[in-house]
Amino acid sequence: MGHKILVGIDCSANAQRAVDYVGSMVRPHEDAVITLFHVLVGPQPDIYPDTDQRAQELDKRHRRAHRQLEAMAARLTEVGVPKDRIFLKIQVCDPTENVWSALLEEQKRGGYHTVVVGRRGMSKREEFLFGSVSSKIIREARECTVWVVQ
Amino acid sequence: MFSADVRDLIRSYTTFSVPEKIRIHTDTTQFMDIKAGDCIAVEGRLFYVKGEEFEGRFGLDGEPKFWVKRVIDLTDGKAKILKLAFFESFFMHLGEERIRCFRSPHKESRILERTAGDARFMQGHTLYDDAGNPVRVIERIAARTFYDLIHGLEMDHETYYYEVFPGIFTNLMKAFYAIKDLHQMGEIHGDIRNDHLLIEHDGGRYRWIDFDYTYEWPGQPYGVDLFGLGNILLFAAGKGFHTLHDLQSPHCPFHTALSDLREEDFSLFFPNRLMNLKKIFPYVRETLNKVLMHFAAGTEVYYESAHEFIEDLEIAFRSFLWEVPYGS
Repeated sequence: MGHKILVGIDCSANAQRAVDYVGSMVRPHEDAVITLFHVLVGPQPDIYPDTDQRAQELDKRHRRAHRQLEAMAARLTEVGVPKDRIFLKIQVCDPTENVWSALLEEQKRGGYHTVVVGRRGMSKREEFLFGSVSSKIIREARECTVWVVQ
Repeated sequence: MFSADVRDLIRSYTTFSVPEKIRIHTDTTQFMDIKAGDCIAVEGRLFYVKGEEFEGRFGLDGEPKFWVKRVIDLTDGKAKILKLAFFESFFMHLGEERIRCFRSPHKESRILERTAGDARFMQGHTLYDDAGNPVRVIERIAARTFYDLIHGLEMDHETYYYEVFPGIFTNLMKAFYAIKDLHQMGEIHGDIRNDHLLIEHDGGRYRWIDFDYTYEWPGQPYGVDLFGLGNILLFAAGKGFHTLHDLQSPHCPFHTALSDLREEDFSLFFPNRLMNLKKIFPYVRETLNKVLMHFAAGTEVYYESAHEFIEDLEIAFRSFLWEVPYGS
């Protein structure tokens, strides 16, 4: 089995940097398999109380996430990573769940050897209020290597 | 119900003159049209509208909240508050940070249900009008705000700290535990402020009010509540906030401490608000000051849950119980 790499993707520029870094590092290694993983946080029922409206919003977010993953996959193929070594995956998580825990659960479930995330460059205040996914991954990841791309 | 019956009820339960024509609203969607003197009928209950509640938030003080009606319940004559469904989204300022906030009647209804019977929270229940809008029927609390309590104290800080603060701290701990319990249910308060913590006139119990704010972000849902808890703790421990501006005044007794103050001694969110109280009040317990410093610009470690916050605060609290005999 090849070296399995899980790359956490969101709609930010740092995710793009992470993908570029992974592409440049992994390209020469023929046994490396890359999964681009988007944790999609579902719309909150408190904010979208109407079921149809919520379903529409989820669909909109799903399509956006898919477009994002395809664009990232294209960046990898551009630098020479073969298409058959790239997988795309979207996981919808409940608004009460954490993105970092969904990422680490996927790591365990899929037996990934490396987890890659971008670092947002959050301010201290933002980190206080929203928490930092990369900090959490560094602290909580077990039995895998973590790359944090600045 | 005939309008003659409604008139009789209004006469029996209120001191207001009965209007010639009574408007009874069974659909509250257009809440702006519901005026003083009207009635709201929901699920067989009838409420006489006395008027609107007003904003207390700084900068909006005195603005009527048209979706919050002061009413008399015409089944028992008690004064209540009806919160009607109002969906809005706006940016809220947490010090220098700006975050998008949503008003959610459903969230507040759910919290009312989940905290029913828990006196640490305002009490009420939800009825639904003919259009399916949730109408929250809130019990009125005869109380003053925590903000008013602290501002009303006329004494120097040292006297306050040794004689009054320990009692306040005891009550605050109970209020902080209430928030911790709320978080354990997977809920957030959403708008923790000095004027959303009420102190009952009768008995002095501390009670949280207003749970209808929510936010959309993945990750740390409790950050905004922790921000609020830190502010309340600072306000209580300092007997108000102490800003750089106040300290710079030549009449300020702590003016001499100025040269010793650093950027990291001030709040992470309010760069003018002093967090390191020990620098102006040296008798403030280190254990208490340490908790405050987790909200300061210099901190590298933030609280991620009310549990962590309370765990640290317990150490400070216990020291007050043992070392201050006149603390309650």
